[in-house]
Amino acid sequence: MGSAGWLFLFGVLMAAGLLFCMVFFIIMFSDLECDYINPIDLCNKLNQFVLPENIAHASLTLLFLVFGQFTAFLLNLPLVLYNADKIRKKSHMYDATEIFRTLNGHKKETFLKLGFYLLSFFYYLYRMIAALIAESE
Amino acid sequence: MSSPAQQLPPGWAAEWNPEHQRYLFIETATGHTQWEHPIAQQQPPEPSTSPPVTTAAQSHHKRRQYAAGQTQAYYGAAEAAPDPGYVAPGLQPQPAGGQLFTPGLAAENQFQSQQTQAPGQPHPYFTQPLEQPTYLEPYDQQQQQRSNYVQPGVDALAGQFGQMGMGGQKQFQLYTTNLLTSPPDPHELFKPPPEIRLPPNACISPSPYANAEPSYQRCTINAIPTTSSLLNKAKIPLALVLTPYRSLKDGDDAVPVVTDTVIARCRRCRTYINPYVQFIDGGNRWRCCMCNMSNEVPQLFDWDQATNQPGDRWQRAELNHSIVEFVAPTEYMVRPPQPAVYVFLIDVSHSAVQSGMVATATRTILENLGRIPDEDGRTKVALICYDTSLYFFSISAESSMLVVSDIEDVFLPKPTDLLVNLAECRAPLESLLGRINDMFRENSIIGSAMGPALQAGYKLMSAIGGKLVVLSSSLPSVGAGALKNREDPKILGTAKESGLLQAASPFYKTFAIDCSRAQVSVDMFLFSQVYQDVASLSHLPHYTSGQTYYYPAFNAARPEDALKFAREFGDVLAMPIMLEAVMRVRASRGLRMSSFHGNFFVRSTDLLAMPAVPQDQSYAIEIQIEETITTPFVVFQTAVLHTTCYGERRIRVVTLALPTTTNLSEVFASADQIAIATLLANKAVERSLTHKLEDARDFVHQKLVDILVAYKSSMTSGGAGASAQLAISDNLKMLPVLVLGLLKNVGLRQSGQIPPDIRAYAQAMLTSLPSQLLIPYIYPVFYSLHDMPPEAGTVGESGVIMPPPLPLSSERLQRYGLFLIEDGQTIFLWVGRDAVPQLIMDVFDLPSYDVLRGGKITLPVLENPFSQRVNAVIQKTREMRRGVYYPHLYVVKEDGEPALRLWALSALIHDRADMLPSYQMFLTSLKEKVNST
Ligand SMILES: [Zn+2]
Repeated sequence: MGSAGWLFLFGVLMAAGLLFCMVFFIIMFSDLECDYINPIDLCNKLNQFVLPENIAHASLTLLFLVFGQFTAFLLNLPLVLYNADKIRKKSHMYDATEIFRTLNGHKKETFLKLGFYLLSFFYYLYRMIAALIAESE
Repeated sequence: MSSPAQQLPPGWAAEWNPEHQRYLFIETATGHTQWEHPIAQQQPPEPSTSPPVTTAAQSHHKRRQYAAGQTQAYYGAAEAAPDPGYVAPGLQPQPAGGQLFTPGLAAENQFQSQQTQAPGQPHPYFTQPLEQPTYLEPYDQQQQQRSNYVQPGVDALAGQFGQMGMGGQKQFQLYTTNLLTSPPDPHELFKPPPEIRLPPNACISPSPYANAEPSYQRCTINAIPTTSSLLNKAKIPLALVLTPYRSLKDGDDAVPVVTDTVIARCRRCRTYINPYVQFIDGGNRWRCCMCNMSNEVPQLFDWDQATNQPGDRWQRAELNHSIVEFVAPTEYMVRPPQPAVYVFLIDVSHSAVQSGMVATATRTILENLGRIPDEDGRTKVALICYDTSLYFFSISAESSMLVVSDIEDVFLPKPTDLLVNLAECRAPLESLLGRINDMFRENSIIGSAMGPALQAGYKLMSAIGGKLVVLSSSLPSVGAGALKNREDPKILGTAKESGLLQAASPFYKTFAIDCSRAQVSVDMFLFSQVYQDVASLSHLPHYTSGQTYYYPAFNAARPEDALKFAREFGDVLAMPIMLEAVMRVRASRGLRMSSFHGNFFVRSTDLLAMPAVPQDQSYAIEIQIEETITTPFVVFQTAVLHTTCYGERRIRVVTLALPTTTNLSEVFASADQIAIATLLANKAVERSLTHKLEDARDFVHQKLVDILVAYKSSMTSGGAGASAQLAISDNLKMLPVLVLGLLKNVGLRQSGQIPPDIRAYAQAMLTSLPSQLLIPYIYPVFYSLHDMPPEAGTVGESGVIMPPPLPLSSERLQRYGLFLIEDGQTIFLWVGRDAVPQLIMDVFDLPSYDVLRGGKITLPVLENPFSQRVNAVIQKTREMRRGVYYPHLYVVKEDGEPALRLWALSALIHDRADMLPSYQMFLTSLKEKVNST
């Protein structure tokens, strides 16, 4: 398997990981709405994952750039910039004092990211298979 | 007379037509009128079935129901009269004007009276003197005026009163006012909210206290729309404004306490039993008024534990009072009731000592040690001083000071004697408090380790919880929570300004959460001469149900400054507080609490955590209509589970019942402008933090436009087209001017001149003041003193009689006059430049205007009646409202210091100032907006 094949295999695994991360976020938000968890614990828990998630996504994007996969890179670039902007504004962490007021926005964002990672997952899968087929021919 | 109006289906009103001696039935939603009773008539009514003779009347009634703005401008007085239908059903109504403004009819205290009124008593709104604002015309003249518009043969007035006279009538009459022709009348603000007209038999108690007083809990709409689409049509925000821990002034009834720990609650929705449940099954079961669940009545419910005999359940407080306190059994405790704890953190850096803050604060604590709530002898107190180090005090027979200079990792230097029992250690505490100022008199250290001091205080009390009282004169500069001076005059008035209103360091949020968890509440007393970052510091009180108090440029050398601070601080110390409190608001099925505003931490979707609740703090809760409401009335119940400051676990329950309606005109007619303004103040401040100040102003403005557009398109004959008038229902006619006042308030005003600290403090006030204090804060009170009526300032049967309030326009100022402007926080005495020497002599004891100096003043009480009356008015102004605030008194000379003059004149919000429109311009722009949408 050539470099493109390995790269997209890695992409598939990363997208799956990020996907699970988002599912976890959504489950936690609905737990909050059902009062199974208090906002302080929720924010402490989720905030551990925010930066790793952003870093994982950014490094994957960087890998695409390094390996010259510009379509995949450009696909991911907006999200990287969006995350970077949030970090710059120091608004990337969940704030327990405001969480109920901002919950709807957080949920929407998480769902959008979930959809994005799902699409990326299939896209990388397709590119991986395409790379494998191209190689075997 | 068995009135047909009693059996009317919803959405119908009946009017007695004296000419035809029969009822005219009106479908209020459409304006359709008919002579037949709507129930008797099965098929859909058609106008053509009406006798032809009524066409004139019909068209007239249509107008009466809807627009007719020109006549309605005068209805204010008539509306204000106690609704005869409720005063004494069946009795002939009294002419309205006579009851309204009778001198000497005022109750104990005009401001309270509106809140303590039992239904069915005449409302003495304001002691009205002989002189009346010209636009409040005498009654006779009104009638004359009106009859010009009323068509002969149909006496609208008689019809209206005839209708009101019928007992049990539930409909609200909607009166339209044209804002362009009816100037705002300050008297309107002292009126009670629109009456709550519950269906008959909703309440099982005949008690006048069965529904919550507005000072405890009020709703923006007193007839709840049954669907959210109806609510959306009206555009009026639906919200509760509540002050569950309202203070008791003289004349207020104490909250009744249920001591037998028999607490009947609904099994399903956990509602507490209240006057709106129904007893069924021979009184063995009760039906919940919220979820309709049938519950068993507890066995001991009818047992009098005091006498050990069968009791009468109808005597129980929870069935007769909307506000009750239950003594809670152990199930309601996570731990035994905690003692009250007060930990004082006193800034002793150079500037704090120099300003006299330390001396005043320690003396005030010393003098008020006996007033700190300590009925059970368990109250604990600790003192920590700080500059860039921390100074702990071991309080015992031989007190000692322990210095901790390591502020990176704060530790307690001693395990015991730092937090001591107030009663046991009273003597050493007193001697210590007497010495603190001397100890630090020569302190030259500049800088503040407030963050580490907070952490130390937290460590000291976190096992128990309580109040952490911070007195600070400088910007926290070292250790955790250190802040930088970010005041930048260049960004004031720009979009970036809202950044200055947010917390600069995350410490103030994370520490607030720690405090909330440990049941610690933080009060901030701030005194700095220079930038102190009130915005960041006020986050601690905000999330821990504390309060921020700000004394800009405090200098105890001025007796006024020292007096104000000592009084307010002393009252805060003496205030009974609720400890370890959680608040939850329940509502009938279909209603959901959707967002919360105020000083607390939202711990779960509907549970508000409040470590120590001070008195007279207001909260606003927005309500969503999630499904169609099918019941004729709904109930809102606020429950505050708390520990009293003398160690008893209690639940304070506030129940408010409101009728529902399917009728848009009723929604408008029952809207409460005071509650709406209070909610808008909260929402605007929240928006200014998450967005920009400009967005916040636009939001409030747009809300008002939406309401006006909704009213115009649905309630006036004008419909969607352009209209020469700006119509609103009579009960909302002060809303535009309140919104204007809000837009001009220091917390939101468009200006590049307002220091961020002042702005942040004003915002803290806007989100925590109860309506009684908030309304004057956004719409100040303005009196003319030099020509006040002879009885004003004297003691009437209900305390000091106040002069009539004037509209807030500088047109009312006269060059030879003496005026008083106050907003509950500051009082201005405005002196005209041509004031006669006798006036200056009588009031200030000075020979002439020229020697009078502007600024803060303590007014002398002189041996002449006028001076005594002026002093009485000022005294009353300082005392008549709830809350600890003791306003400063400033003398403002007409040609005096410009800054002070402009500050005083900025309270006259009808005027134009810089970029801010006058009331007329504001109305004109509103009208344009309304006509263009
Ligand atoms: Zn229930």
